[in-house]
Amino acid sequence: MKKTAAVICPGRGTYTKTELGYLKKHGAAAKHLIDRLDQRLKKIGKPTISDLDGAERFSLKTHTPGEFASTLIYGCSAADFTVIDRDKFDIVAVTGNSMGWYSALGLAGALAPGADFDLIDTMGSMMTGGIIGGQLIYPVVDDDWHFSSENYGILVHALKEVGMMAGCEVYPSINFGGYAIIGGNEKALQTLMKSLPLKDEGRYPFILVNHAAFHTPMMNPISEKAFHQLGLDLFSDPKLPLVDGRGGIWQPKSTSIEDLRNYTLGHQVTETYDFSKAITVTMKEFAPDALIILGPGSSSGGAVAQVLIDSGWFGLSGKKAFVERQKTNPVIYSMGREEQYQDVVK
Amino acid sequence: MSINRAEIVDKNFSKAMTNGVLPQAQRHVTLSESGLRADELVDLFESQIVSRHLDFTARLLKARNESYYTIGSSGHEGNAVFGKAFRHNDMAFLHYRSGALFIQRSKHLAGSTPAYDMLLSLCASSEDPISQGRHKVFGSVPLFVPPQTSTIASHLPKAVGMALSIRRARDLGIKAKVPHDSVVVCNFGDASHNHASAQTAFNAAGWAAFQNVPVPIVFICEDNGIGISVPTPRGWVENASLARASVKYMQCDGKNLLDSWRVAHEAERYTRQTRRPVFIHMTTVRLLGHAGSDIESLYNSMSLIEAAEADDPLLHSARLVIENSILSKEEVLNLYETTRQRINRAAEHAISRPRFTTSADVMKSVVAPKTKRREIEPTTDTERERVFGSDWRYFEKPQHMAKLINWALADLMMTRKNVILFGEDIAGKGGVYNVTTGLLQKFGARRIFNTLLDETSILGMAIGAAHNGFIPIPEIQFLAYIHNAEDQLRGEAATLSFFSSGQYTNPMVIRIAGLAYQKGFGGHFHNDNSLAVFRDIPGIVIACPSNGSDAARMLRGCVRAADEEGRVVVFIEPIALYMTKDLHDTGDNGWCFDYPNPKDEIAPGEFAVFGDGTDLAVITYGNGYYLSRQAEKILKDQHGMNIRVIDLRWLAPIDYQRIADTVKDCRRILVVDECRKTGSLSEALVTALVEHLEILPKIARVTAEDCYIPLGKAYDVLLPSRDKIVEAALALCQSKKLPAVPAVDIKKTGK
Repeated sequence: MKKTAAVICPGRGTYTKTELGYLKKHGAAAKHLIDRLDQRLKKIGKPTISDLDGAERFSLKTHTPGEFASTLIYGCSAADFTVIDRDKFDIVAVTGNSMGWYSALGLAGALAPGADFDLIDTMGSMMTGGIIGGQLIYPVVDDDWHFSSENYGILVHALKEVGMMAGCEVYPSINFGGYAIIGGNEKALQTLMKSLPLKDEGRYPFILVNHAAFHTPMMNPISEKAFHQLGLDLFSDPKLPLVDGRGGIWQPKSTSIEDLRNYTLGHQVTETYDFSKAITVTMKEFAPDALIILGPGSSSGGAVAQVLIDSGWFGLSGKKAFVERQKTNPVIYSMGREEQYQDVVK
Repeated sequence: MSINRAEIVDKNFSKAMTNGVLPQAQRHVTLSESGLRADELVDLFESQIVSRHLDFTARLLKARNESYYTIGSSGHEGNAVFGKAFRHNDMAFLHYRSGALFIQRSKHLAGSTPAYDMLLSLCASSEDPISQGRHKVFGSVPLFVPPQTSTIASHLPKAVGMALSIRRARDLGIKAKVPHDSVVVCNFGDASHNHASAQTAFNAAGWAAFQNVPVPIVFICEDNGIGISVPTPRGWVENASLARASVKYMQCDGKNLLDSWRVAHEAERYTRQTRRPVFIHMTTVRLLGHAGSDIESLYNSMSLIEAAEADDPLLHSARLVIENSILSKEEVLNLYETTRQRINRAAEHAISRPRFTTSADVMKSVVAPKTKRREIEPTTDTERERVFGSDWRYFEKPQHMAKLINWALADLMMTRKNVILFGEDIAGKGGVYNVTTGLLQKFGARRIFNTLLDETSILGMAIGAAHNGFIPIPEIQFLAYIHNAEDQLRGEAATLSFFSSGQYTNPMVIRIAGLAYQKGFGGHFHNDNSLAVFRDIPGIVIACPSNGSDAARMLRGCVRAADEEGRVVVFIEPIALYMTKDLHDTGDNGWCFDYPNPKDEIAPGEFAVFGDGTDLAVITYGNGYYLSRQAEKILKDQHGMNIRVIDLRWLAPIDYQRIADTVKDCRRILVVDECRKTGSLSEALVTALVEHLEILPKIARVTAEDCYIPLGKAYDVLLPSRDKIVEAALALCQSKKLPAVPAVDIKKTGK
């Protein structure tokens, strides 16, 4: 039976060394789109996404900076979106995390033809002249992915303390399911790295490489610049419902293009991106049977599952229950995982 | 002939999108004349469709025993325009056909999930964000929609109260809940328009506006032409409302989004700018009957039912988007069907969500959780001396109750800038019994003011002001007068915490002069001795002091309970004790008391015990306590009896176990209640003693007769008196059937 699904576009940092060759493997159906992106990149003297994807080695220097990674990630997501079997899945909403919002706009048809490149490359290249601040990730859930007031309390306390220190600037950047992503300046993040107790066998906290303090007031100049560079003509009426980083819904035919631009280049850039809320709203208002997370990578799956667990969606009571459910009747399809990719495509 | 009109209305829509037969506009307003953009029109239409499908789904779920509410919004979806025209923080008091309005309003706040939340509410799920399944209501904290059931238009007086509070909050500089330029929205049906509470609200708004007092409220009468089964006379609402003094009348076709939007927008501008009230008369149709259980064909002709269905606002909206080439018929149908699927999918999740299973869960919000006390402004003796003026020098001298209440009010107003006093004659005159004398001069007309002579409006004003951050202390001039305003207390103020899961409260202390013993003056309506109207209301606090010292301290306890727990408090002031100075003999000043230190408070439930005798315990309150104290002296001096007298002080809450523990070593118990034999607290007290005492002493009651209080001296034959108490005490003590009272503590022996 045909399932309803919401599509989730991943954010920055999802194309890692394990994704090298992803487009080569999965991009055939989206050749036209990839060629178009490549041509635009070539025109401005940037490495093409085909070149990046086809590189022999993954390099932090060439694969992770925004000016290269953004279009690469979008290309992978768009390729995946193209191959979703529409006989199996009826897409009822599209959402995304952080730069995934730009991808979501492009895939839901909310950008004028060709404007996907303009928006994604322009926004992705805003830090070319130097990255403003950075991002740090820290868990606020326990081992079974339930909200941990203890972890949360530790984080809030640390943020309060660091926030009061001279020369430190720190903000909540993304609510990413069971993880808090904190944006701030170098000094604040380094202080947090020292003050936050290690979690998950020492994996957290860590600073996200080549990420800026996205979705914080530190991005105000970027927002201003974006408004200056990206006009209203780039945006258009979405063809699919969109859910943004506040949980705001944008429906086909009832979307104000001006409001959409204002949100995308304003609030979305300078205020906390509430990915958890986006997923919650998607579930409550569209109630899809499944969630399809586009590639590259599959690192958003945990965060999405944590949101579902938090609200008891699909009867999920915790991480163990989620893992079990995924084995028999998946509710999340991460296209970055080969076996789940195959479940989604024709 | 099918009686399932939902199915027919549903099919009609799909059919119309196929055959293109759509109702003609009854008012011609173009898209550009309306001021709406194309995307905005579709946005409103979407809200209407979501609302309609929620109605359909409610009925489908009801058939599966998964939903408990089928009164819908079908036919009223034109009210979506009010969701758009007003800001999300223009407080809205909504009636039960406000689905589309609520959905549209929620679009002001990204992240809202109105459809799912409404489904949870239909299923009475404990995850319903406003009432947690306690009632199907439209309510939301972030959307400034206080919940109520709205069935009898009892939300209108408080909506007026809220509107009146906006300017006052600004002028007094208190921390208001809404912006100073906000307005209030309040909708109701054409049948509800006839309720006394609705009429009094229109009157109160007009009365204030007539005097140029800002009353920024938009009343929306959604006239579907029928109240359950009774038709509203054609033209009635219009004729009844057109010429109401100082309330601007506007009319729109609620089936036509363009016309409705034009009027909604104009009303919003007018009220926000002029701060004057508007009455919008929105005509529409009612579809699907009154509720799921209502078979309209039993009382309405098929031609009328079908005519309403053909005039479906959704068909009109479809015509507008098609005529204006915004959507094709196919796109409309696609939107309609995908919305249906969306709602049905969400419904399947909603029905799986938890529901309350224990009384403790349900009762959790009868009283709101305690909150941090608001900032209290410290006062110095110098400041107090300045404010109290000539009264200051009398502080050392014992005073009667009226004076001590007056001083307590003054101290409370000094320390809490959000305390306001209002009622009939309380400002310049100082109240009928001078309890508020001089407060106007001390605190000014913004904080103590006269109202119109209408108790419903007074309590509505209190509820509204409390919604906006005030702690109102309204006065009801006489106890008997509360009865025509009872529902404002019982149905509205007291239930707010319950229906909102403690998220909304309307803290207030209602001062009521009451009870009898006025030496024959005034008759029943000024001597009413029934408190039954308050006693069964869950969550409220009822205070009834017997003397001035207690009154002052209890009043402080009342304000604290209002402040910290959002409690609704009824403070009964025994009129006969206002000026009483003596206890036993003329000139003994036995009932005058020192003004207690402003820091001294008596918390709800704390009772007082006089004496430690075990021959007899008298349990009483108010005038009964005063009389019992007189009787105690006679029983002691003339009959050698050693008794104790308990002044309950609070009629709710009462810790019956503590009362029982306090009297368990007494051989007899006499309950003295100045209220009637039937329905008075005495009944509950005797029951509680029976339930809580392990060994039952002899118990008797002295109460008022089941009668109204007459004029003249005959009043005293009906009421407990000193001598009747003495007589009853002696009779009780002479009884031969005395139980053996254990000499040792029962608990210690473990028996």
